[in-house]
Amino acid sequence: MAARAILLTLANLLIPIAILVFATGFFPYKPFMPGLARYEDLGWEDRMGWNNGSVASAPFDRLVFMVVDALRSDFVYAEGSGMSFVQSLIREGTALPFTAHATSPTITMPRVKAITTGSIPSFLDVILNFAESDTSSTLATQDTWLAQLKAKENGKLVMYGDDTWLKLFPDFFERADGTSSFFVSDFTEVDNNVTRHVPGELLNTDWNALIMHYLGLDHIGHKAGPKSPNMLPKQKEMDDIVRDIYTAIENEDHLANTLFVLCGDHGMNEGGNHGGSAPGETSPALVFMSPKLSKVTQFSEKKSPVLPKEGSEFEFYRMVEQSDVAPTLAGLLGMPVPRNNLGVFIEEFLGFWDDSRDRVQLLLRNAKQMKRIVEATYPSLDFGTAVWDGEVQEKECISPIDNADTIQSDGQNLACKWQGLVQVMSTLATISPDLRFLKSAQETMSSTASNYNVSLLILGTTLATLSALLTLPTLPRLRPLTAPGISYSLILALYTVLMFASSYVEEEHNFWYWATSAWLFYLFLAASRKEWTNVLLHPAIIVLVLHRVIRRWNQTGQKFAGADDIVHSPLFYGTNSIILWTLVGATYMDITNRLSRHVARSIATFEGVSGVAVGGPDADFDANRFMATVAVMPLGATAFVFKLGFTTLDAPELVGGINAGILNWVAGLGLVGVARMVFGGIGLSAFWIAVAEWKRRGGRKRGVKGNGDLAVALFDLLSLFLVTQTKAQNIPLFLLFRIQFFLLSKSYPPPPIIIITLTNQTATLNLSPTSITTTTLLLSQTTFFALGTNNAISSISLSNSYNGISDYNIVAVGLLLFLSNWAGPMYWSTAGVLLLGGHGQTQRHIAVQELEDRDWVKEERAHLERLARQEKEVVERREDGAWGSHLALLTLWTAASLVAVMLACMVLRMHLFVWTVFSPKFLFAAAWGVCFHFLGEVAVGGLVWGAGRW
Amino acid sequence: MSTTVIGAPAVPRAPASPINILNNGTAKLYTHLHPILVLSLYAYRWPSIVADPVPALTSALVPLSILQIAYVAICLPPTGGTASTVPQADKRKPGEKKKAAPSKVESGINGTIIPAFLSLLLSSLAAAPLLTATLVLFGAPMTTHHTHTVLCGAHIALLSFLPLVYVHGVDGTTWREVVALLLPIDEVYGGMIGSVFGAWCGAVPIPLDWDREWQKWPITIVTGAYVGYAVGKLLGGTLLKGKKIMFE
Repeated sequence: MAARAILLTLANLLIPIAILVFATGFFPYKPFMPGLARYEDLGWEDRMGWNNGSVASAPFDRLVFMVVDALRSDFVYAEGSGMSFVQSLIREGTALPFTAHATSPTITMPRVKAITTGSIPSFLDVILNFAESDTSSTLATQDTWLAQLKAKENGKLVMYGDDTWLKLFPDFFERADGTSSFFVSDFTEVDNNVTRHVPGELLNTDWNALIMHYLGLDHIGHKAGPKSPNMLPKQKEMDDIVRDIYTAIENEDHLANTLFVLCGDHGMNEGGNHGGSAPGETSPALVFMSPKLSKVTQFSEKKSPVLPKEGSEFEFYRMVEQSDVAPTLAGLLGMPVPRNNLGVFIEEFLGFWDDSRDRVQLLLRNAKQMKRIVEATYPSLDFGTAVWDGEVQEKECISPIDNADTIQSDGQNLACKWQGLVQVMSTLATISPDLRFLKSAQETMSSTASNYNVSLLILGTTLATLSALLTLPTLPRLRPLTAPGISYSLILALYTVLMFASSYVEEEHNFWYWATSAWLFYLFLAASRKEWTNVLLHPAIIVLVLHRVIRRWNQTGQKFAGADDIVHSPLFYGTNSIILWTLVGATYMDITNRLSRHVARSIATFEGVSGVAVGGPDADFDANRFMATVAVMPLGATAFVFKLGFTTLDAPELVGGINAGILNWVAGLGLVGVARMVFGGIGLSAFWIAVAEWKRRGGRKRGVKGNGDLAVALFDLLSLFLVTQTKAQNIPLFLLFRIQFFLLSKSYPPPPIIIITLTNQTATLNLSPTSITTTTLLLSQTTFFALGTNNAISSISLSNSYNGISDYNIVAVGLLLFLSNWAGPMYWSTAGVLLLGGHGQTQRHIAVQELEDRDWVKEERAHLERLARQEKEVVERREDGAWGSHLALLTLWTAASLVAVMLACMVLRMHLFVWTVFSPKFLFAAAWGVCFHFLGEVAVGGLVWGAGRW
Repeated sequence: MSTTVIGAPAVPRAPASPINILNNGTAKLYTHLHPILVLSLYAYRWPSIVADPVPALTSALVPLSILQIAYVAICLPPTGGTASTVPQADKRKPGEKKKAAPSKVESGINGTIIPAFLSLLLSSLAAAPLLTATLVLFGAPMTTHHTHTVLCGAHIALLSFLPLVYVHGVDGTTWREVVALLLPIDEVYGGMIGSVFGAWCGAVPIPLDWDREWQKWPITIVTGAYVGYAVGKLLGGTLLKGKKIMFE
């Protein structure tokens, strides 16, 4: 026993260590070059006739940079777009349109970093995006075009819109007004808050960059997708703002040399979400506008609206990289290219310079800047300006086509291209070699954006494997082979294999839905082999039917994102929302009712009749029960009102059917205070019931065991907490979970039915411990996805992570964030403990020796004896090692799935999808392994199990 | 089933034995030929099924029914009767006249063709809707693709349940044993389990990002059922014959 405990502890401790080691190797801290770039000597001055330090003169001196969050390319360019003014500019030739490819993760903060620094942000930025207060992620010390503009003479910046910019660039702006995107239901306020500053700022002459970031379009996408009826009016609103600004540029003298850039930071998929790498998400629009642009567009085709490129959905005009914005702005506004830039000057703008030497100079500056990064990455290779002699070149730069045996490394390849540039520069001035070096450097450096520490990766994977191996001796006996044991192993084995298939990582929910259906059907088969009962009333079949409803509740995953589901059906919207709120109310009523039972028991305890209350239901319908209901009602009601108030702000379309007077009253309440009241009430109730149970335990005779009521009470309080952390439209799911739990437990069928039908009609599922563990695992995973989450960072819901918190507190927000996204799994892991221990289940206390022995009741007698035996087994489980076996299986599960994910990330680290699919999956696996396994399965599970022994 | 009629002692049922195919050369030959024919039919129809599942699957039902009826009529003993090659003992009352023996053709029709058509009727009227409901329960689309799902259920029903109805009839107890996987395995039962299991496995390729036309509903499921049927029938008739499925 002791050895088992030690092994399990060791295995569990290894899990976080393995994750940490692997993460250090996988997400290395990417060094960046500090300091602002300056113009430097280019070399070849004499040959090119450049004066030392001279810079090609810039066509612009001011910048208006307008970001419209999630402005997908087709919102501007396609037929039926609301942005007719921009399209008319494109036709006139005063606007130059592009599709700017945004790399994954397509969320705002890394995208803003890419646009401003020209670098490819590391994946760690995703985590830092959530830990918003973190200051290490600011760009205050990095070289950006904002820093360059500010460093200019009279450089003053103003900023209106998304406060991400204010966090990234603290103390950068002369004037600023940030808006936060807390409630995505806000389509208008966030934008009006920006627009109201625009007319005034257009008259001001002091700034040289005006930055705006509109959030409304993104909010519409998140709420109702790209085809929302609000989308077109919002595009028109944005178009009007563009018109105002452009007209001002045309008419105001001080704005004559202003470059106006309109761009999206990322796009959105058909579901209106973003974060992944679907074409819709990675294709924002990018438009440069100025009357002066007609100089560079005179020879290009000016057509708008247009169709996307053949074979693509969102590629309009030419596709450039989002990072190309930084060097292009640098060139057009006459400043050095930011140091960490990996973008390439957009060649269409070269037409501004008539002298081809200026063009070469511009590109050469870009190339030299990028060469520094390449040099830093490949320190051993030669990137000097001396022309290589023939021998070296032959050795180093044999073309792979000529000699297939020598495969050049990426670095060598770049060195050769640089050398090609050097050779051409020393003979004549043409543009193509510059571009050739720049483009391939961009490609190579983006793919080696992260240099993995492979030995740490191997060490991390080994540690996780070790953890899995350590659990093996602690598992329940393997022989004789049982069907649940085989199922557990098969599911685990299949799951580890699927982690290597990128589509199955994206569509992981399909695996769990598929496996859970089969497992529930197996439970039905296994029960039917012993005793045939009414199929439609069979608990396993009803659980399966409910499972079918639950999996349809939220459409999740990437492939069919935006497909129909129950949450988005007209069932819950507008005036129909009364249906939703009836279901939500029923969920709260059920929990309140169950809580009142616990409190009634506690009142009885304090009145001193504790000896009577052995079972639960005897406290029903008496004075105690009434008092308890009165005592618990305020808690349930407050929780419900909080949910209603929160939803009124967060998702007003879901409260359409509710009386406006009630909504006004609810909206007037301070949500933070109400949430605190709910949390406080839950804590207080837990304390009160625990004290009562402790007293009851003291009053119990020796040898008499309790029914584990405290465990049930804790579970019910936890349910109330989890429901509070869940979006309103998902709350009815908890009612369904509750029914599933009831059917899986031995309380089904309820006692009266047993007596009437003599067990012929309905069966009880008598699950073995391994079956319970497997069921728990499957339902935990299923519910995680059924609540709408998947393995993309964008599916993480932030909306409930600030409940009851007024100021930013990373621990509290992190905890609430985890609990609100893992509410389903937390529910089932705790429910699994109750199933295992049979806590609070109706005990029939069948006195076997008093049963009659007459012939015709023989069968009934046999049945009752079997029930009595099963009951005894379950109660005995609480004493022996059932918890240990349960935990061992859970630990093996966690460790083995981690090994699979780590191996997949390691083996496929050069895979095209490593940053879009496998790295997010690793982050999720880490959350499952550390937060869920430790907090949910070990801590809460252990607490409930321990409480159940009182 | 634990109900017992009081006073009437339950008749212990003879343990079910695996189904043997008819003991004649044609049956032995055709039972191996049959899955090849069924799979070839499916392979032949495959391009049109991929192009447009509903009409192609509908029209494929006819040849499939013919093949299945031929199979059960040629190879399998009909329900109730043992292999009809053994002539039944003549049980005449004393003095009763000997009835004219039914002609061979007539007895063939009565004994095999009619049960075969009855099985077709039962499997398409009872099994197909039940299987469709099961498909929906396992995740088939609920609000769209109704015809697709019904056709999928019909194909599985004809493949797996038609022969089962033919050999076991409509005896409730036997069917409970069928569902609870309690019967000994033979080629008919193996074919049923194989096709249902195959249909379940057929869901696996749907989420993959291969962008193939055949990944659409319900082609993979039907394909899984066909392949599973052939494999299950082969294994059930040979390696696993007579074995029972054990859960514990």
